[in-house]
Parts: sequence; C-alpha cells; structure tokens
Amino acid sequence: MISRARQDLDARTRPGPGFKGLTVLLAPALAIVLVLFGGGLALGVMQAMGYLPGAGLGRLGFQHFAQVLTDPDFATSFALTFYVAGVSTAIAAGLSILAALGLASLRSRWVHFIFQIPLTVPHLVVAVAMLFLLAPAGLLSRGAVALGLIAGPADFPLLINDNWGIGIILVYVWKEIPFITLMILAVLRNSGRELLDVGRTLKAGPWQRFRHITLPIIFPALAAASLIVFAFTFGAFEVPYLLGRTYPMTLPVWAYKHYSDIDLLARPEGIAAGIVIALVVATAVVLAQMLTRAARKKGMVL
Amino acid sequence: MITYAAIPKSVLMMMVSIAVLTLAMGEAVADERSWEEIVSAARGQTVDWFMWGGSPAVNAYVNGYVAEQLKTRYAITLRQAPVKDIAEVVGKLVIEKQAGKERDGGVDLMWINGENFRTCKKNGLLYGPFADRLPNQKLVNRENPSVSNDFGEPVEGLESPWGSAQVVMIYDTARVSQPPRTIGALLEWIKAHPGRFAYPAPPDFTGSVFVRHIFYHVSGDAQRWQGPFDQAAFDRAAAETYRVLKELAPYLWRQGQTYPESPVRLNTLFADGEVDFSVSYHQAEASRNIIDGLFPDTVRTFVFDEGTIANTHFVAIPFNAADKAGAMVAANFLLSPEAQLTKADPDVWGDFPAIDPTRLPAEWQTRFRQQARGIATLSDAQLQAHQLPEPPSQILIQLEKGWQEHVLKGR
Repeated sequence: MISRARQDLDARTRPGPGFKGLTVLLAPALAIVLVLFGGGLALGVMQAMGYLPGAGLGRLGFQHFAQVLTDPDFATSFALTFYVAGVSTAIAAGLSILAALGLASLRSRWVHFIFQIPLTVPHLVVAVAMLFLLAPAGLLSRGAVALGLIAGPADFPLLINDNWGIGIILVYVWKEIPFITLMILAVLRNSGRELLDVGRTLKAGPWQRFRHITLPIIFPALAAASLIVFAFTFGAFEVPYLLGRTYPMTLPVWAYKHYSDIDLLARPEGIAAGIVIALVVATAVVLAQMLTRAARKKGMVL
Repeated sequence: MITYAAIPKSVLMMMVSIAVLTLAMGEAVADERSWEEIVSAARGQTVDWFMWGGSPAVNAYVNGYVAEQLKTRYAITLRQAPVKDIAEVVGKLVIEKQAGKERDGGVDLMWINGENFRTCKKNGLLYGPFADRLPNQKLVNRENPSVSNDFGEPVEGLESPWGSAQVVMIYDTARVSQPPRTIGALLEWIKAHPGRFAYPAPPDFTGSVFVRHIFYHVSGDAQRWQGPFDQAAFDRAAAETYRVLKELAPYLWRQGQTYPESPVRLNTLFADGEVDFSVSYHQAEASRNIIDGLFPDTVRTFVFDEGTIANTHFVAIPFNAADKAGAMVAANFLLSPEAQLTKADPDVWGDFPAIDPTRLPAEWQTRFRQQARGIATLSDAQLQAHQLPEPPSQILIQLEKGWQEHVLKGR
C-alpha cells in the first residue's frame, strides 16, 4: 500500500505534458484510429444497411441486421462462438496464472525464451500444425497405432472438426498462454515480494497468500489480457474455418461465408454479421470494465 | 435539375466536357490499337494474374514456364497472385467499381468461369470484348458450345479460353478393385461401406459439381437443363437431390456431421486412407499427384457410364486493370500451340487444350497426338465419350444454396 501511495504522489508532482502537448502527442495514433478504423466501421455500417450501388441495391435500413439476428442459425452460431472464445480464454487464463507463478521464481533465460516462441507463430500455422497432429489420420493417431495403443485410426478420439471445438480451443490455448503469462509476469516481477513476506510473517498459508495478496496484484493485468484474448478469439476466422465443423459455424466464419457468397445480395448480411461481432466485443469490454470497477469498490480486488 | 441551377453554367459545361473527354479517351486508346501496338505497349508491364492457387502443378506451370516465356518473348513480368476462391477477387472488383476506381486496378488478369464470370458480366466488371483481338483466337473452335457459352452464359469475347477440364473419380486399385461405374452404383457402394466416402461441402467448386452429378442422376437426363429454365421441374429434381443426399449423409465420412472444406483436404483424406475415393474436377490431377508423391502409383481414375461434367475455363481482364496490354499479350500467349502443348503434358499439368489441334499445321497435330499421358489419366477418347455439360449457373447457385439449407442444416 505504501508503494502505491508513493506512486500516486509521484504522478501528481511530475509535470504533465499539458492538454495541448497531449493532443499533439496523441494526434498521429488518434488519426489512424479515427480515419482507418472509424472510417472502415462507418463504411461497413453503411454497406450493412444496404448501401451497395454497384449491385443494384438502394434501400437503406436495418433489414440486413434483422435478417442476421432472426436467422435460425444466428443463436447457434453465437452460442458456439461464445463457448469457444469463453472456454479458450478461461483455460488459457487459468494455466497462465500457474505458469506465471512458476516463471516468476525461475531465473532461467532459456525457459523464458522458449515460452515466448508461441507468440511469434501465426494462428494459421498453429491451426494447420494441429490438423496434421490431431486429425484421425494425423501424426499422434498413427503413432498410437504403430505403438499398438489403439487398433486403428478410427479409435483415435475426434479432436478436429469435432462437435466441441476441441481443436480450435487447443490452438487458442497454446497461442494465448504466453501472452497472458507475460502480462501477469510483468506485474508479478515488480511487486508483491515484500507483501508475500509480510503475509508469511502473519502466518498466512500458501492459498491465503495467493488469494489475498497475489491474485489482487495480478488481477488487473489478468483481466485486461483475458479480455483481449476473448475479443480476439471471438472475432477470429481462420482457426474455426479450418478446424471447426462445416455446420454449425462460428460467427466470423458465417460472416465470411456470406461476404464471399457469389450472390452479391448476401454481402450486406455478411457485413452486418461482422458488425454484430464488433458490437459483442465492445459490449464485453464495457461489461468487464464495469465488473472490475464494481469489484474494486467492494474491495474484492486492488 | 434544381440543384444544377445553383452551379454556374460555364462550370457545368466544363465539367461535362471533361467527363466526355475522359470517357472518349479511355475508350479510344483501348479499342483502336493494332496487335503490334498492343505488344509494344505491353513491353515492361507487370501483369498481376489472380487465380485459384490450390494446385501445385498449375502454380508451377504459371510461375515457371509461362512467366519465363513472357519475360523472354515480350519483356512482360508475370506475377501470380494465388487466391482460395476467385470470388474474393470478384468481390474486390465490385468494391472498386462502387468506389469509382476506373483505372490502375491491381488485378490485370483473372482465371475465371461459370458463376463468377456471370457476376462479372452482370456488373460490368470486365474489360472488352478483347478475345477476338488475340491472333491465337483463330485456333479456338468457337462453334463448340462450351467455348461460346460459359455455364449457359454467352461469352461474347469478354473472356478468352485457356483450357478445359472434366470431372473424374479417383480410387486406389490396392483398396478398391472394382469401382462403381454408375452414380447409382456409387450411392449403393457408399451405403455398403459406411464412413469411406466424402465430398467437399458446397459452395466449394468440387463439392458443388459432385452435387450436380447427383442432380443429373435423379432427374434422369443432363441435356434437358440446357434449354429454357423450368423452375417447377427444377424444384422437383432439386428436392429429390436433397432427399438422396440427406439419406446418404449418415453413411459418409464422419456420418456427414462435417465435410472436407476443399478438394485439397479431400485428397489428403484419400491419401491418408480415411476415405476410399476422391473427386477431382480435373482429369489429370491424380496422375499429377502420383508424380508429386502424394498418391501411391496404384491410384487410377474412372468416369461414370452416364458421363461426368466437363467445362471450359477462361481468363478475363478486369475493367480497371492497370496493364491491359500486358494482360492481352499474356492471354494470347496462353493460347499458343507451345503453351497449350506444355500445359497438356502430364508432367506439367495435363490440362485439356483450349485450342482445336486440327487447326494447327500437321507437325503440331502430331505432337499433340503423340503426347504421353499420366499413368492414372484416361484417354481423350474415353473422356470425351463421357462428357456432360454444366447446367446454367442459376441452377448451380440454387443447388448450392439448397444443399446448405436442406442437406447441411437438415431443414
């Protein structure tokens, strides 16, 4: 607590850049966000509302959003996407806490280096690798047959294009653990040691120390990282496209299918689905912020 | 007209004349040049050719032989832009049309046919007609209905033929000694061997053509769909198609719960022994895959006794292509006897020629006749005796949509 109070004091006494300076500093980043992202979003909304002069569509309105939302497949696709993103994030976050705790006390540079490798590998590559590894005729299955563990490829559990999105979740978990871990680790490295010692002197057990000292310290970083992962997995296309079932499909795959449909009239629906994805992600961010704030007020976390 | 009144008359006149002038210039430059002028304008241009990139053989032919020849003969740089589905590029062109990007587009040449051609033509996305201006076009038999019509859509010189292909079934003689010779027999085989057959999910090109074979099978006659479209007859035949395929689904790979997303994946399943057949919209692909070591050399192909669907594939130039001259020279070179003969070589690609070899000098005719065939490729005579036409693309689109609705989602 002392260190935090000092930080606040520092922040207040340090001369800030001032409003004008701040505007200048932020202008390039803001311009990119507003023009490229905001402009793209605005164009997307327009097209989703039926603005497609080249294809002979003229009437503006919310009919395409209505079509997307009332499509009998929408609820299934939404649930599937939510399930995949939620479960991937939860598993990755849980394992990341363990990994961060382990790495925090470990001084080996090599372990840290190896741990960062997944960050550099594109999702698409991981997805194809999983396909080769886990498919019914994949490497693991063949290995198991060769070792006599199973009678044939048919006995190998279904992990790709399966009903539960196991293949997709595995890819995301593998990819996102290092990301969340590094976010937590950055916080863990810079604080908490003295507090843990204090906890020890007060005879707090390992679980108590974790629950009342470590978790509150890492919580903001953990929540932020998890939110990024959730938002990404909710909107990502390539992994569920390769490793998911043909039907039902996740929302991003659905949006792609409509957008790339040879029938140009299906395109506004694809964009509308994309905007629904953006809205869901935005809602998730706002909701998570509110929850964190509420929890803070109740004193549940730092 | 009220809004125009606010603009001074002189400004309005200027705007109109500029617009007329630009329009006239754009048209005139393209249409009046002789072939020699086009060839010299093409020198030094870089042609960006967007095409389906799923076949290593095609990619090697384009990036190897074609690119080298265009460089040495015409000083044209060819850049292949592989895409998963040319429909993506068509979508991009629609956007560029909307945005008013009338020139300097990034796509110079497209490998295209069928429904994508129809979309392009309907939306004015193509440059031309240009095909008649290519000197090698005289080698093409334009009387052939599959050359003058692309999936029932009149070509009208907006695309230039490149080759043709026919659907074949692929099997491994080491696993299946007697393949089913008719579609009816295949359906029975699938039911007798649960889990050993799969087809890619439409709207994938290969999956879609497989469904059309079932459609032809249940409607009894492929030719009747070539004439004027009869919605009531189509609906009856389509409903029967979906019924047959729905009934078949539990006997497919993974009980039809999921489908391979592409023919590439289907070939992998076939090579891995998960299924016993693969489907290819190319008569020589199996031979090619044997050469590449993807398939064992016991793999062979067959066509159904009632025939399999064949089509012609084309190249087209987008309305806003930056290097139209280069694209036309490239399209012309693709039709040359050398390029067509190399393309037909089973070690290269094994594609059917788009030109009619009988229009060539005797020496070239012999070379075409004597060309070796891949070990798994059927003879031209066998293939040509079993060719069915593609239906008009509205049938194709409705079948793709209907398949997703009824077979995939089970409604």
